[in-house]
Amino acid sequence: MSDVKEFDTRPAGNPSAESPLAWTFHRQGVLPRDANAGVRLREKSFLGHLILRGGAIILDEAVREVLGMALPARPNTLTLDESGERSIQWLSPDEWLVIVPGGEEFALESRLRKAMGQAHYSIINVSGGQTVFTLQGEKAREVLMKSTLYDVHTQAFPVGKGVSTVFAKSTVVLRRPNEDSWELVVRRSFADYCYRWLLDAAAEYGAIVER
Amino acid sequence: MTQVNRLKQGGRIDRSRPLKFVFNGQQYAGYGGDTLASALLANGVDIVNRSFKYSRPRGIVAAGAEEPNAVVQLGATEAAQVPNVRATQQALYQGLTARSTNGWPNVQRDLMGMVGKLSGTFMPPGFYYKTFMAPASLWMTYEKYIRKSAGLGRSPAEPDPDSYEHINQHCDVLIIGAGPAGLTAAVTAARNGARVIFCDEQEEMGGSLLDSRELIDDMPAAQWVDRILDELSSLSNVTLLPRTTANGYHDHNFVTLHERRTEHLGDSAPTGGRRQARARLHRVRASQVVLAAGAHERPLVYANNDVPGNLLAGAVSTYIRRYGVMPGQKLVLSVTNDHAYRTALDWQEAGCEVVAIADARANPKGELVEKAQSLGIRIIAQSAVIEAKGSNRVSAACVAKIDADSFSVVGRVEELACDTIASSGGYSPVIHLSSHTGTRPLWRDDILGFVPGEVKGLTATGGVRGVYPLHEVIRDAADAGVRATLAAGVKTHAEATTLPQVAARQDGEACALYQVPHRKPSMRAPKQFVDLQNDVTAAGIELATREGFESIEHIKRYTAMGFGTDQGKLGNINGMAIAARCLKRTIPEVGTTVFRPNYTPVTFGAIAGRHCRDLFDPERYTALHQWHVEQGAEFEDVGQWKRPWYFPRTVNGKKETMHEAVSRECLAVREHIGILDASTLGKIDIQGPDAREFLGRVYTNKWAKLDVGRVRYGLMCKDDGMLMDDGTTSCLGENHFLMTTTTGGAAGVMEWMELWHQTEWPELDVYFTSVTDHWATMTVTGPDARKLLAEITDIDLDKDQFKFMDWREGTVAGVPARVFRISFTGELSYEINVQANYAMHVWKTLFEHGEKYELTPYGTETMHVLRAEKGLIIVGQDTDGSVTPEDLGMQWAIGYDKPFTWIGKRALSRPDTRRADRKQFVGLKPKDAKVVLEEGAQIVLDPNQSIPMAMVGHVTSSYYSPTLGHGFALAVVKGGHQRMGETVYLPMVDGTVYEAEIVSPVFVDPKGERQHV
Repeated sequence: MSDVKEFDTRPAGNPSAESPLAWTFHRQGVLPRDANAGVRLREKSFLGHLILRGGAIILDEAVREVLGMALPARPNTLTLDESGERSIQWLSPDEWLVIVPGGEEFALESRLRKAMGQAHYSIINVSGGQTVFTLQGEKAREVLMKSTLYDVHTQAFPVGKGVSTVFAKSTVVLRRPNEDSWELVVRRSFADYCYRWLLDAAAEYGAIVER
Repeated sequence: MTQVNRLKQGGRIDRSRPLKFVFNGQQYAGYGGDTLASALLANGVDIVNRSFKYSRPRGIVAAGAEEPNAVVQLGATEAAQVPNVRATQQALYQGLTARSTNGWPNVQRDLMGMVGKLSGTFMPPGFYYKTFMAPASLWMTYEKYIRKSAGLGRSPAEPDPDSYEHINQHCDVLIIGAGPAGLTAAVTAARNGARVIFCDEQEEMGGSLLDSRELIDDMPAAQWVDRILDELSSLSNVTLLPRTTANGYHDHNFVTLHERRTEHLGDSAPTGGRRQARARLHRVRASQVVLAAGAHERPLVYANNDVPGNLLAGAVSTYIRRYGVMPGQKLVLSVTNDHAYRTALDWQEAGCEVVAIADARANPKGELVEKAQSLGIRIIAQSAVIEAKGSNRVSAACVAKIDADSFSVVGRVEELACDTIASSGGYSPVIHLSSHTGTRPLWRDDILGFVPGEVKGLTATGGVRGVYPLHEVIRDAADAGVRATLAAGVKTHAEATTLPQVAARQDGEACALYQVPHRKPSMRAPKQFVDLQNDVTAAGIELATREGFESIEHIKRYTAMGFGTDQGKLGNINGMAIAARCLKRTIPEVGTTVFRPNYTPVTFGAIAGRHCRDLFDPERYTALHQWHVEQGAEFEDVGQWKRPWYFPRTVNGKKETMHEAVSRECLAVREHIGILDASTLGKIDIQGPDAREFLGRVYTNKWAKLDVGRVRYGLMCKDDGMLMDDGTTSCLGENHFLMTTTTGGAAGVMEWMELWHQTEWPELDVYFTSVTDHWATMTVTGPDARKLLAEITDIDLDKDQFKFMDWREGTVAGVPARVFRISFTGELSYEINVQANYAMHVWKTLFEHGEKYELTPYGTETMHVLRAEKGLIIVGQDTDGSVTPEDLGMQWAIGYDKPFTWIGKRALSRPDTRRADRKQFVGLKPKDAKVVLEEGAQIVLDPNQSIPMAMVGHVTSSYYSPTLGHGFALAVVKGGHQRMGETVYLPMVDGTVYEAEIVSPVFVDPKGERQHV
């Protein structure tokens, strides 16, 4: 859509940046590093997050052209590029979440806008508003079962699935990009709560947190 | 004390693991594998409690969840106290400490016993009913008495050291109960590949097979149990949950399971290693449920059937065979069916004397009967125990020939010396869970019991549907397992279902007997207990029916039958049968009462789970939270957000009070410059060619002519014309807007707009996306705001280039920023928005440059004072869902002539919203400058009017203004806009009456010059 104000919110210089968990890590001091931990947790911070809204067919054409990736057409699915660093996730019938390496998002937004021409759509940069937690380890699934009512059994939640769902008393986007890991896309202001919840739920298995 | 009743051998207890425990202050010994109840019986403890109402001595009756008497208070320390634990369900552990729930100073010498004699008359049946009818003022007196004498356990007075949790489970088939039916159904479903959850409430899985005399596949039943459990635990598609009670069966096969994970190990979860939850609440969403809850044996109701030494027949067998405990030496058995004969066989095999079996049937026959006869046990046909003798322990059983049809004793009474009476009146299927769904159970004459009614997605199998002989149970359960698996959409294959071999047993037909007739009528005979836990007698039920209570639900409430933690497990069917006899109806005509969750008590910890302490509710933090904490800010909860409330300074070693801090912060803004973290305001990015049109429909004011680069304040109404939210919206591009909402209203406004877009105006091309968390917002406000900002921005701040209600973009402290020149303080203000990850850098840079201007951080309290001085509303504080924009005097923000209608427009033309005497928004100036009126205080016009006075409004906001030097308030007053200058009165609770003048709500800078500088 033309007549929309594009705005690159990432500074050109290099001022210090703080991820949504910065205060949490600071307060915690020493991060958990249990021996034989059943769960490993990591924040993938400062990525580029865009919300695409519009018709599936035109958006699909645009992301194929610009990203070389297909728009996931089926509800609650996720596509990744070969490197696994770029992903597109179905959120609702006219809404997708694109996550790319930090710094790519503004150029991507501009190219997508060019590709979309005069069609009706919206692209919103939400990179500062959310962060990604990666959850790994043999007990990751149990920790999720304590946290979300969604069925996270491998049969019901195969690799390539992603959903927006209830997480404790918050909501997250929960997804399985590969065999070994789960990702939680968490809103910035809920990041501390979700982090503390995850560690509490993982207490019986032991946890390692990586920054 | 030695374990006088412990058998030399036998049982499933671990004799290599001796344990010590304390009951009512006395030390005892038991073994691993014991329950508290089996250990108490082993130690010859006859009296475990005093009864609820009559304070009679009570002993152990059952061996499972149905136990009515042995309800104890558990815990060695105050923090570990757990009330209402059934001794029959509590595994013994080293150091276990328990007390009787009732009886003071102890159960042996109960002081309340004296009262007990009186309390029979003090609390007759119908006590509750009659009490509630009595003057309500008396209830407190009654309740005090009941609580003290009944003592239904107590909650701990110290914080619980343990943690608890919820876990969500999903499965194809949930199997409840691990007796023969559950095991067979589980292994059938599991072998077919279904996702199976298999739970059982006991310490060990196996149910009745753990004390069965029968063989399965030519091996003792308990050995077969081990084999099946080995197989199930090796399968990855099976979750085994022992010590887990299915407590609630809710709609759509949502079942709550209460798993006790460490309660068999100690008072609290083990410490030292990793923290474990003491209990887990499994929230299971099952495609199919197989209910294999089995049946409870029904006791017979005879005189003095509550004296210690009266047990259920099946419980006696369980104690002998499973726990290696003899509950007594000389047994009299009173039965109505063949199965109970096994108790006599078990008793005799253990080397003790069976005095006699009183069988209510005229001509008992069947394999077990023959076996008993062949062992030389005396069988007295067509008879029953009509009365137990003894006070603290059974000393004899009175047996007589009875006629059930005429409900009378027809022969002479024979008194048989004994110390134990075991009775079996048949079996009651455990229909509690299926009944939770609201379905009514069905009576079956052939099994003399209720079975579960139809529930979608539920398959009942085995004892719970009245299938009792083992060989039939296994066939029935295998079939149930296959049907549930198929219904869950899992393919089955025939070879997965091979039935184990069990010899068919020929049982004689059982007869119906509930209350045993006595020579005297029920009202005069010694008490015949129906519900032991609630002290409900057969006479009580008779009385209820005589007093006109015909519905079983009324009888229940009149007598308290099946109340509380018991939920009618032992007594309900007998009670219904007695009611039916008195009312000359059949049992199905009388019907059952409603069973409710939970099946057995659940600790509050398990219900709360992880949602407690610092995880009770999410705390939302802004990107600047750490700075606020480090500056010693006091915080206020705004929705789930933690917002700085005020920033107290320490001056000369003394911390400022809130009043001092707020005054300082207010003056800083008015005289120099202040800064507020406004990041919590809701922000919605709106894009699309119809964005402008959409805004015109959800806001009351006009949006057609807002230019790019400009900002406008908007009011949003519900369709009833009442204000729901307000905020500013900026035109970023011709088709691009940024809306702000109140902090608390953000999610609601987003949903509201989606709702109207999706349901009413889908033809409008517009999209909304929340960007609240993406942007951090810092408000610099005060006369020096321009000077400070100019030092670190490339934006032209010239007052004619960047005017009030403009926005510009550029960089602030090197970070791309959108700056909005809007004001919630009335001062020159810039709201700086940057991507949240860079907010701390920008904030700190502002302070580096702001020192020379005395840049002062302020919180929500100062924000409230400053905005109130300007008469700016806060939705939800100055409005309450009954206030229109016109009531607020905001006619300037209503576009009645917009070409398309807008939400709330029609409602604003209703006669009621046009009334002249609606409560209208005004300012109040107290006559006494020192007074700060109370928020919520009612306003009257005539202070001398007698009560009830005519109240014409109330105070919505009230503060002390350091700028004005006096208190001031905002209020709503009937017809207030026409009452400027009038005096109103505010009578307070303590009799003080304050006087105030109605004034304009704008107290500071009425012309609005300061924000335009």
